[in-house]
Amino acid sequence: MKQKIIIISAIVLLLALVAFMVKDFFFSRPDNSNPYAFDVEKIRNGDTAAIAFAETLQIKTSLEEIHGLATDANGNIYVSGKSGVEIFDSAGKTKYKVKIGGTANCISVDGNGYILLGMQDHIEVWRHDGRQVARWNSFGPDAVITSIAVQGNNVFVADAGQKVVYRYDKTEHLLNKIGLKDPATGVPGFIIPSAYFDLGIDKKGNLWVVNPGRHSFEKYDFDGKLLSSWGKASMAMEGFCGCCNPSNFAFISDSLFVTSEKAIERVKIYNADGSFRCLVAAPNQFEAGTKGLDLAVDNRNRILVLDPVKMRIRVFELK
Amino acid sequence: MKKSLALAILIFLFTIQFLNSYGIQRFPKPEFESGYVQPETLLPNPRAEVLAFMDIGVLIISLSVVSWLVIKKRSRNGVFWMSLFALAYFGFYREGCICAIGSIQNVTLALFDKSYAIPLSALVFFAAPLAYTAFFGRTFCAGVCPFGAIQDLVSFRPQKLGTRLNAVLGVIPYIYLGLAILYAATGTDFVICRYDPFVGIWRFNASFGMFIFGGLLLAVGIFIARPYCRFLCPYGVLLNWTSRFSRKHITITPAECIQCRLCENSCPYDAIDIPTNTRNPESKQTMGRKLIFITFLIPMLMLAGGWTGSQLHEPLAGVNAKVKLAKQILNPVTDKNQAETFEIEAFKSQGKQQAQVFAEASEVLHQFYIGGWILGGFIGLVFGGLIAGRIITRYQADYVPNKGNCFSCSRCVDYCPIKLPLETK
Repeated sequence: MKQKIIIISAIVLLLALVAFMVKDFFFSRPDNSNPYAFDVEKIRNGDTAAIAFAETLQIKTSLEEIHGLATDANGNIYVSGKSGVEIFDSAGKTKYKVKIGGTANCISVDGNGYILLGMQDHIEVWRHDGRQVARWNSFGPDAVITSIAVQGNNVFVADAGQKVVYRYDKTEHLLNKIGLKDPATGVPGFIIPSAYFDLGIDKKGNLWVVNPGRHSFEKYDFDGKLLSSWGKASMAMEGFCGCCNPSNFAFISDSLFVTSEKAIERVKIYNADGSFRCLVAAPNQFEAGTKGLDLAVDNRNRILVLDPVKMRIRVFELK
Repeated sequence: MKKSLALAILIFLFTIQFLNSYGIQRFPKPEFESGYVQPETLLPNPRAEVLAFMDIGVLIISLSVVSWLVIKKRSRNGVFWMSLFALAYFGFYREGCICAIGSIQNVTLALFDKSYAIPLSALVFFAAPLAYTAFFGRTFCAGVCPFGAIQDLVSFRPQKLGTRLNAVLGVIPYIYLGLAILYAATGTDFVICRYDPFVGIWRFNASFGMFIFGGLLLAVGIFIARPYCRFLCPYGVLLNWTSRFSRKHITITPAECIQCRLCENSCPYDAIDIPTNTRNPESKQTMGRKLIFITFLIPMLMLAGGWTGSQLHEPLAGVNAKVKLAKQILNPVTDKNQAETFEIEAFKSQGKQQAQVFAEASEVLHQFYIGGWILGGFIGLVFGGLIAGRIITRYQADYVPNKGNCFSCSRCVDYCPIKLPLETK
């Protein structure tokens, strides 16, 4: 009896193996998924326990495309995009609409209320009443202006196309270039695989530039001397991953970094020493594939996130 | 002791293999905090051509030694150690390629595709075992084939299956052989290699599915000795046919059988034909009726099989890349969320005309139509042979190895009490 059971079991198993071969060969559907694709789903749906902020407001824009976000000292919110700039008060009510020619990829507002717009290859200066104050010369045919920051009389311009930061004065006089690769001074040079290249000035007056290919932040003095850097390439929450991240950043509470990423769409806060602090928004709060989450922080320490897919400015406040 | 050692080695190898089958799936690579630097991927150099001649040399020497051990020395121990050598050399060192079983496809492709130049090693690996079998029986299976060797190692509790079960399951290799030839002849696929259960073990790189497949086959092998060789191996079909005509096949007894029945249960492969009653043979009339029946039956089965095979030519051709592409062009993906197949992407990038794809697919379908007739007819013939084998009574007086099914492993030899003077020394 025992012998019979053994034989029957073994034969059933053998026939099952033959059936597996038949099924696999004739009836299996081709798997079109790329086994080497970078699967970020696990990270997208990962731990959200570190979220310390809640979304409190969404501001809808009337622009056709939105690319740049800035705030001023009074809490007004500026959005730049295709053919225009829209200005909202802190409650999200539209105050002004400025018509421009072309698309403004980035925006910055100086202390005097001048609006600096980074077009593809040049800068335009506007007033909120729709008056164009200046139009700078082109930075060259390869220029892709992605970020502008103003500090006193200095205007810092990030050019992703030519992988350099320009330091100008407000009269369009070039003072120096920052970040060009120089082994003698230890400047590694910017690695910019895509048109995401952000910079900013912290409350202490330091210039910080993202080196997205290196997944790091680099601090320079105004003469272009590399002072320090931080950043960690990792798929973990604490790091940045992909070809080029973070895509955008802003400062909050003097010297904390608010960062945003693409591919794994998330907004995080880092301490001044580069250690991870908390999550502002998790990937599942954005549409998959959202890119260009520009950031700004207003005078109430609210974090503003530009969502180009939902065409909204999304406001996050500490829980 | 020998078997325990073999079991321990197999468990060790399988443990490594099991870990590997998970390891190769790991993407992206893990991140290390310890500063460990990921090694660069190394691309191995192609194997030196001269080593192919070494393989041929080792094959010929192994076949000669095993044949000598089986026919002249009648040494089970010698055959066992040679099979271990084959496992080490043709299995783990040569990583199972080229192998005699898979070489069927190379030879078939060379016959049907003039642009394919068959490597000399493939040709020799196909022909040499058959040539030796024609003279000495299946000595290749006994001690040169690594497939047989690895299965022999796990054959701890072989059970007798009985003649009927052996005959029914024994049809599978014929179907497998027919399909393998059809798919190789049409340039569709090398099915035998695709479902090689042990190549991933030789190479320590089996996919998880194939690792389970090979592992389960070995598990079956604990109770059904050499399940792959007996019920799957397509090359075994050719060896079986050839061995029936072998000039010097192993015998159980070196002299005259004394009908002691000691060897009756010695064969784990049920390959010993037991004596039949020769005192009351069937009448000539009965035998004649059976012969007439078979004479009509076999052509009918072949015709029915051929017709069925021809009707199945479309599903059979469905796995061919050209047919598959034509089908995908005819039935494009309509779901926006569903990605296009790699085949369609490649087709679009080539700039090839759809009409050309359809013409190629049509030609392949025609090949499968003809192939379906031949395959079906062949399967009909096999079933006819099976039925004929069941109804025709054979008469024999002694215990003899079945020349077709016997693997010449020499186990039965030790059970025979009759020893030649040379053997008793």
